[in-house]
Amino acid sequence: MTVSNRMTGIIFSNMYDECFGELTKIRTAASLPFGGRYRQIDFILSNFTNAGISRVGIVTKYNYSSLMDHIGNSQEWDLNNKDGGLVFLPPFGSGKSDVYRGKLEALSNALNFLARCPEDYVVLSDANILCNIDLREVLANHIHSACDVTVVTMRAKESDGSIQSLVLDTTDGRVDTILTNYPAVAGQSVGLGIYILSRQFLLGIVRRYVAAGRTHFEADFLQRGFNNGSLTVNLWEHEGEVLFNLDIPSFFRNNLRLCDAALRKDLFNENRPIYTKVRDEVPSLYNEGCEISNCTVADGCLLSGSATDSVLFRGVTIGRGAKVTSSILMQDCIIEDGAVVENCILDKNVRITAGTQLRGSRNNPMIVKKGETI
Amino acid sequence: MNIHKECIATLLAGGQGSRLLVLTEKTAKPAVPFGGKYRIIDFPISNCVHSGIDTVGILTQYQPLELNDYIGNGQPWGLNLNRGGVHVLPPYAQIDKSEWYKGTANAIYQNIAFIERYHPEHVLILSGDHIYKMDYSEMLEAHKQNGAECTIAVRNVPIDEASRFGIMTADEEGRITKFEEKPKKPESTLASMGVYIFKWDVLHRYLCEDEANPDSDNDFGKNIIPSMLRDKCALYAYSFDSYWKDVGTIESLWEANMDLLNLRDAIDLRDPDFRIYSRNEAYPSSFISPESVIRNANIAEGCDIHGTIENSIVSTGCTVEAGATVSNSVLMPGARVCAGASVSYAIIGEDATVAENSSIGEAPEVHGDGWGIAVLGRDKSTEAGEILPAAYVR
Repeated sequence: MTVSNRMTGIIFSNMYDECFGELTKIRTAASLPFGGRYRQIDFILSNFTNAGISRVGIVTKYNYSSLMDHIGNSQEWDLNNKDGGLVFLPPFGSGKSDVYRGKLEALSNALNFLARCPEDYVVLSDANILCNIDLREVLANHIHSACDVTVVTMRAKESDGSIQSLVLDTTDGRVDTILTNYPAVAGQSVGLGIYILSRQFLLGIVRRYVAAGRTHFEADFLQRGFNNGSLTVNLWEHEGEVLFNLDIPSFFRNNLRLCDAALRKDLFNENRPIYTKVRDEVPSLYNEGCEISNCTVADGCLLSGSATDSVLFRGVTIGRGAKVTSSILMQDCIIEDGAVVENCILDKNVRITAGTQLRGSRNNPMIVKKGETI
Repeated sequence: MNIHKECIATLLAGGQGSRLLVLTEKTAKPAVPFGGKYRIIDFPISNCVHSGIDTVGILTQYQPLELNDYIGNGQPWGLNLNRGGVHVLPPYAQIDKSEWYKGTANAIYQNIAFIERYHPEHVLILSGDHIYKMDYSEMLEAHKQNGAECTIAVRNVPIDEASRFGIMTADEEGRITKFEEKPKKPESTLASMGVYIFKWDVLHRYLCEDEANPDSDNDFGKNIIPSMLRDKCALYAYSFDSYWKDVGTIESLWEANMDLLNLRDAIDLRDPDFRIYSRNEAYPSSFISPESVIRNANIAEGCDIHGTIENSIVSTGCTVEAGATVSNSVLMPGARVCAGASVSYAIIGEDATVAENSSIGEAPEVHGDGWGIAVLGRDKSTEAGEILPAAYVR
């Protein structure tokens, strides 16, 4: 099969680690659990798979054991193939430096990988902005546009609040101004952290820019290049739902938004499934006397108490008389009889002992660390 | 390359399963969904994996497409191996003849070449229509200790059910003295579970003899076992007392599903050391709406629940709309129960639809004589407002 008009996928797994505080102390932002059974990276990886992308590189820097465990041999995403496959791209050398200073610097560690890929195009993506998108359409549009780079965006709505991201001002679909790390207002185009460009072009950029000490893809390359007229930028507006998980409050809010039927239908598009690691769990058991209302519930749960407006991950147990409200309960959490949990994010394997009451607030959910007993 | 396996398994999956009526119209019986996310065949395959048996041949000939697809390369069960693994074995044309599997023994006979590739000492023979969790390695240990040429897993059944099974008589040491396939007047209640371990060289010999006999039915229960008994072979019974259920009929398939809710300790699917593996589809979490009411139910992934569910198994990807009621029933994967519809004591097949305000099935106390589980087959639907009584099958 010809490899022209095909893409290599690159995911930056650590880029937003500092935004999620306690939740990313032990994992990458990419492997942060989301939506009952997923990790954030599942969405972009599945978008890759569903677009026929068979070669994926995951740029990692540190803390990536949970990510590697989740990805395994990548067969859930059909990426354990011979013609392509999934590779981790950790830094060379001693890694004494703290974090990558930018995506271009991160990519400079992946130069060998990029140079060897036979695909003509590269799609770059973050892992913490979640959507279900047909990247084949984006690629076709990119090729048609004859621009240097295509930026995937969405049109900010009033209800989105202020999203701090790459913002593009446009006139008649043409880009006027590029603003980085700027709070978008309704009507503006907001970048989803997904870019398509030709592989050869990207190789040249990475070599040249990093050598010149410019490491940020958005600020040093995209914005500067556009402003000085050396770069043509195409814009692809994604019309579906987008979840910007930029910090703990937005992560919390977006999990709870999964109770919205229209959002679920779009994000879990039947024709483009979101794949994740299989855990061979049993169906969830709803005991006599349980009261579950407006919740998303994964498999393996054992439910005897009540839960409202919450996300219950795999293997969650809620005891008799326990009451869970507006909370995220990650994998294998146990809420013992009579305990109360409200506006909380419980990381994996947390146990709330009988009768304990735990309350956070809507804008500042209480976070309980992985494995703790309270 | 010479591969030596102590014991390999063959699973007889060729039967039509006609007693499951519409549920096996397009599907081989072992591929019939069970328990919300499993298929019947997941149980014997997972048992093999947990028993250290890593080579399984699945003998199939009826509606094999779905079963082939489901088994695939065996990866969901960890059986995608270079040496061993799971193999789907349909009948195939040979130089001098080509034929379907004539009987259970003939099915194994036709696959002698497959078995010999692994040079096994023992061969475990399984069937694809039972729900149970069993460590075959314990049975193999007993088989070896007894120096048995054949060991048959047995259990006590109620005397009035005994004529449905192969029934045997054994002495104090467990040595089998008599075996009768589906006897009209059973002499004992020791029933065969359809799980056999044979010494391969002995079975090989009997399979060849059986094949040479034109009058034989080529069946284990009717021919092979009686011949071995006649020749005073060492046949032993191995007692298995844990949960075991034949799911060859609509009633028993429904009962076994209900057992997951009502006999939770007997058939514990939650035991982390003995999970039943299955091929998982990519479904999101289920959504449970504010207006739903759920009492004693198993609900798998990818469901959209707005109605009332009671004492029921709801499989992956099902929808129960607002105002719908599902009680004492099994919804197979992808089934939809529309607004205002009612499902009671029924099995709703894969991707079947119970239309708005229609009703299917009735409680035994409501219907009285001739009661039975109602069944809506795969992809079938009811008409809006239609009332289908107990035991109705479409």
